Amino acid sequence: MTYIQKRNVTGWLFLAPFMCSFFLFVFVPVCISLWLSFVQLDLTNAAQSKVVGFQNFSDALKDDLFWKATHATLNYAVLMVPAVLLIGTALGFGLYGMSRGRDLVRGLIYLPGMLNVAAAGILWQWFFNNEFGLINFTAKRIGLPVLPWLSDKAYAMPSVVIMSLWWTIGATSIIILTALQQIPQMFLEAAALDGASQRQTTFKIVFPILRPVLFFVFITTTIGAFQMFGQAMILTGGGPEFSTRGLVQFMFETAFNGFRFGYGAAISWLLFGMIAVFAVIQSIVVRRDS
Amino acid sequence: MQKSGNFNIRGLLGGLAVIVIITGLLRTFLTGGFSASNKVSITFWNGFTGPDGIVMLDIIKEFNKENPDIDVGMQRIPWATYYNKLTVAGSEGRGPALFISHADAIPRLRRAGFVDYADDVFTGDGAINPKDFDRYVLDRVKFNGRFGGVPLDVHPQGLYCDADMLKKAGIIGPSGEAKVPETKEEFLRAMDAATIERTDKQWGYALTVWGANMRAVMAQFDGKFLDEKGNSVLNCPENVKALEFVAGLTKKGKVPPPSNGLGWFGFRQGKVAMVWEGVYMVGDLTRVNSFHYLGGPIPVIGNHMGTIGNSHVMCIRKNLSPKEHDAVIRFVRYLSTHSLDWAQAGQIPARVSLRSSERFKGMQVQSAFAKQIPYVLFPPKTPVIFEFMLQMDLACEYAVRGQKTAQKALDDAQKETQAIIERDRREHPEDYKS
Repeated sequence: MTYIQKRNVTGWLFLAPFMCSFFLFVFVPVCISLWLSFVQLDLTNAAQSKVVGFQNFSDALKDDLFWKATHATLNYAVLMVPAVLLIGTALGFGLYGMSRGRDLVRGLIYLPGMLNVAAAGILWQWFFNNEFGLINFTAKRIGLPVLPWLSDKAYAMPSVVIMSLWWTIGATSIIILTALQQIPQMFLEAAALDGASQRQTTFKIVFPILRPVLFFVFITTTIGAFQMFGQAMILTGGGPEFSTRGLVQFMFETAFNGFRFGYGAAISWLLFGMIAVFAVIQSIVVRRDS
Repeated sequence: MQKSGNFNIRGLLGGLAVIVIITGLLRTFLTGGFSASNKVSITFWNGFTGPDGIVMLDIIKEFNKENPDIDVGMQRIPWATYYNKLTVAGSEGRGPALFISHADAIPRLRRAGFVDYADDVFTGDGAINPKDFDRYVLDRVKFNGRFGGVPLDVHPQGLYCDADMLKKAGIIGPSGEAKVPETKEEFLRAMDAATIERTDKQWGYALTVWGANMRAVMAQFDGKFLDEKGNSVLNCPENVKALEFVAGLTKKGKVPPPSNGLGWFGFRQGKVAMVWEGVYMVGDLTRVNSFHYLGGPIPVIGNHMGTIGNSHVMCIRKNLSPKEHDAVIRFVRYLSTHSLDWAQAGQIPARVSLRSSERFKGMQVQSAFAKQIPYVLFPPKTPVIFEFMLQMDLACEYAVRGQKTAQKALDDAQKETQAIIERDRREHPEDYKS
């Protein structure tokens, strides 16, 4: 065996455990779900399952609940993605600018992300509680009006977004901080020597260098936003009036409460299609701009 | 030193092995393990994860003690995921020998094909007399003229009152104690009297689960979910009247606004004088110290007494061995006979004879709620129960929040639920042949 062949074999051996688990727990289920999306399969009557072609997809597109869930998902994404980009970037810059205590603050910002979504959700359910919650309690103390955070359609989705931001913003800010730390000092020094102002340096040098990282955050946050599930499930249960019931929750409830696995699988593929379309559009727009 | 260390480890391991062997032998001798082949083990699944589960566990321990040839093992799973797990396990032939199902979930489980008939409970030595059940309750578990399970309890919604708050508001009977409102007029008067609007801190009444509250009134107006042919009639005039009443309370500002969130929690905190909730919530109140509460039937808002309710039904899995089957039958009969113990967990026994006992009459809330049993409306008997109730609850939410009129909300829900039923008929024609 040549040296190159040996290296190839070693590489494959290292990859093998992951490849096996990927094949078993990702590839195979994805294939099964694709097949299921063309089948009418009710778990309570699995023996009567049959191939129905695109029926599940066309049923979904005619289903009012599907569009309600799509609306809720888009609503969440529209609020969440810009908020993550803005606040994450601001925090990243803030951390970058800190000369002392940066590690401690970075750790504290990242800490909520270590929590399980259920724990974070239950915690915020109490924070948002109308009568006894920390937020309304504080608002009352300082003379601000109390708000029905989770029980009013106008506030429910923003509440879910606030909780999600608290839960996930640490990771984003650290990614941006790391990217900032990677910027070669010579660029900044050269700009300073050329007499560039702070604003010019930030917008003409730092942001262009950060663009691939911001693009990465943009794409991953958008994908994550489309997959929103646990936060709303725990905070609001999808209410009020299904205004926070996203596509993943709709899919889950259809498949696991309604036992319509075929229909549930079709919804998941429609969601995949939406994510793919958005990702491609984002990719084209960002590349064209750059 | 090394040798000594090795010796100690060996000695420790050897000692442990001896202890394990001796413990095993002792257990075998003390529990009659050599005759273990005669002991039948049966698994019993349910969703009693609260204090009710502890009551059930005590009943099972007693049964196991009294029946040394049977060993019942209970598995408690939260209701939120219970039916998923039960259906998957049952469909794969790995389901429990005995399990609890709500009456309205049985049609779905029967469709999955693993629920056996429970006729043997009602025949042979030690049989339970079916006449000891309310006919209407027993009808809920009948399929093709046979018993699809045995009702353990009935759990209707009823009226909970904070006795101190009502008394303070002047809602008192001849004895000078708080009086539970019985009619619409009394209820509305009590609601107004106990509401302190000036401070906005105390309410006479609050809605809890809007859909369930509406269904309680729906029963009083003789409302229906389905007609004789199984078609949705959610927008029938009786249902509209019920929803108009419930939504009207919000519209008129008689109850906390929908965004307020006060309900059962507010009642427990002494901010709400009256709520409608299920009898099973009584267990929650017993944990609150110095809280004087009273239970009563839902006040008559419609034509007569009535409420919404459901039953925990004992269902038997198909394909049990004769030994397992006999053991399950004995255990089901035991549970049914001892359902007065179960009533302590906040339930009403399905057995009529037990409800007439002095012991049951001593359970104030349970016995007061039990007066409604002849008028209890059960959720519809349909395999699409999940989707059906989802649409109905959404309609109630729209009406209570003032997004739609009661008529419009129920018209829309009727269309949606009818579409669901028609889809199910198309997909499962064999279930609708009869």
